[in-house]
Amino acid sequence: MTATNSFSTAPASPWRARLERPWVKWGLVVLVVVLAIVVPLLLPEFANQTLARIGVFSVAVLGLNVVMGYAGQISLGQIFFVGLGAYVTAYGYNAGWNIVIVFVLACLIPAVVGMVVALAAARLGGLAIAMVTIALPIIGVPLAKRFSEVTGGSQGTSARFSAAPEWSGLYDDQWQLYLVILIGGITFLLTRNLVRGKYGRAFAIVKGNESVAASMGVSPYRFKVLAFTIASLIGGVSGFLYMVVVQYTSPETLNFGHSIELLASMVIGGAGSIIGSLIGGAWYVLLPQVTNIIDPNLTTVLQGAILLIVLFFLPNGFVSLPRLLRRIGRRDAPQRSVAEVPQHTEE
Amino acid sequence: MGTFLQLMIDGLSTGSIYAALALSIVLVHQATGLINFAQGGMAVLSAYIAWVIYGFGAPLIVAILAAVIISFFLGALIERYLVRRFERGDPDTAVVVTIGLLTLITGICAWFWTYNNQLFPSLFPLDTVQIAGAVISVRSLGTIVVIVAIMLLLQALFVGTKLGLALRAVAIDPSSAALSGIPVGRNLMIGWGLAASLGAIAGVLVAPQLTLTPGMMDSALVYALAAVILGGLTSPIGVVVAAWLIGILENLAAVYVPFIGHDLKIAVPFVLVFVVLLVRPQGLFGRKSVVRV
Repeated sequence: MTATNSFSTAPASPWRARLERPWVKWGLVVLVVVLAIVVPLLLPEFANQTLARIGVFSVAVLGLNVVMGYAGQISLGQIFFVGLGAYVTAYGYNAGWNIVIVFVLACLIPAVVGMVVALAAARLGGLAIAMVTIALPIIGVPLAKRFSEVTGGSQGTSARFSAAPEWSGLYDDQWQLYLVILIGGITFLLTRNLVRGKYGRAFAIVKGNESVAASMGVSPYRFKVLAFTIASLIGGVSGFLYMVVVQYTSPETLNFGHSIELLASMVIGGAGSIIGSLIGGAWYVLLPQVTNIIDPNLTTVLQGAILLIVLFFLPNGFVSLPRLLRRIGRRDAPQRSVAEVPQHTEE
Repeated sequence: MGTFLQLMIDGLSTGSIYAALALSIVLVHQATGLINFAQGGMAVLSAYIAWVIYGFGAPLIVAILAAVIISFFLGALIERYLVRRFERGDPDTAVVVTIGLLTLITGICAWFWTYNNQLFPSLFPLDTVQIAGAVISVRSLGTIVVIVAIMLLLQALFVGTKLGLALRAVAIDPSSAALSGIPVGRNLMIGWGLAASLGAIAGVLVAPQLTLTPGMMDSALVYALAAVILGGLTSPIGVVVAAWLIGILENLAAVYVPFIGHDLKIAVPFVLVFVVLLVRPQGLFGRKSVVRV
């Protein structure tokens, strides 16, 4: 499989070419798998829980990326599907259903709801779609309070099914992190394959110019509905994982403010980027913790200021950081080749 | 009948506040092609500025006028030194920048003035008048009058003045506008400044009712966005009519449709927007934009 993106016009750097070599690639895959197995055993409980929450919200950001980053449709309602997935999980588990069936339903029900909404909304252009998606969390919160026999009303509802089983000998936090890594990892792999394949190309044309897409025989309507449906499904996965880690959900979960934060995290990480989704998830979880450590009284001011400062220097999000550093390096030392510029990871 | 009329007038009054915010969103969109999520936050900041000046002992009307003028310059500065960097870039990034701005401004208000509710004096007397059996507050009527005046002024500005023509030209095609000798940058700053001033008026109209808090405008902003989409992004009159429609329908539905009640009345404008958009995707008063490949 070639990973060269047919839409980018920039030539691949030598560093990139080196990364493409098969043994480097497989070595990286093995390294990631080993880390995923070993790290949960070594880290303290708090770090494991933080990592697990980063995983949950990375998946949510990934779903948002499918519809916004790849297909170019503004969605302000992603948190609604996360919340819906969480509610379905809690209800299904408390009703005594098999947990596999609960998981499948937690993916399918948000996907179906997302599809129904998109069937109507995808006829509309950019901002009108944003308005329809804004409505989801805003109507979702009072609805969740209203149907209290299903949702537990404002009190919320909890489901504790993710305690480590006896035979594994693991602590709860380790078991939960493993579940997040496994389910989240599979979601990331499947999504990556999807957006790099023919659907990804169709999304990119729809994002670029709908009229061109239509004239090439790619139906913008069909692919917008598809992107919304997949995003909602991934949101449902994230909701299931949310119940694995947090074990409790309430109307507060699908607050409109969280939807906005997800959107900000996606842009900060990097729109239309798989790695960017991971960074976005980390941003979503870590930024409030960091600003709280700096000064609890200034949390909101700092969050806004940091967001603006980062975007001022990196309008394309953290994934564009290596490119920026390379450009600075080239400006400072024009005689050096690009490959010798020290590479930095996005963290 | 009395109740019905009263609900209508109250709906018009709350709708007018959404309308003021919606007008400033339209103004910014006309000038820069952006949807500014920080508009509500900026309105709150303006209201706090008026409140501080009033606290120094200035008459209320002077404090409000001063806040309107200060807001104009704040808006222009924000456009020049922050937003301009993102104006012709990725629209997603620009949206998130205005969200960051909203967070920052809310944080600043909370830092200076805490999250406690502050009492804000009303510009209009607290009297009520009897019209056809309905008890209607003078404040509601005053709010409506102010918004109608602003709407007419804006429409006149856009359609009847050179500045309005320049603002529209810049919004439609900045490079052609520049080639015809229009100072694009200055027009963008004026657009943002005017929008901030309008927000200030919305802020001081809403503050006496809700008392002054950093999050005061959050739900008004959401309604204003609904009004902007419903009315069509290009028409000040359309946006005001849409905002009134939303205010009235929301009020009527809460009382006359028992299932909806006060918790779900927020759903009414969105269902309305959704239904209208399915029939008229460009909004009630908007013009259809034609795309060439």
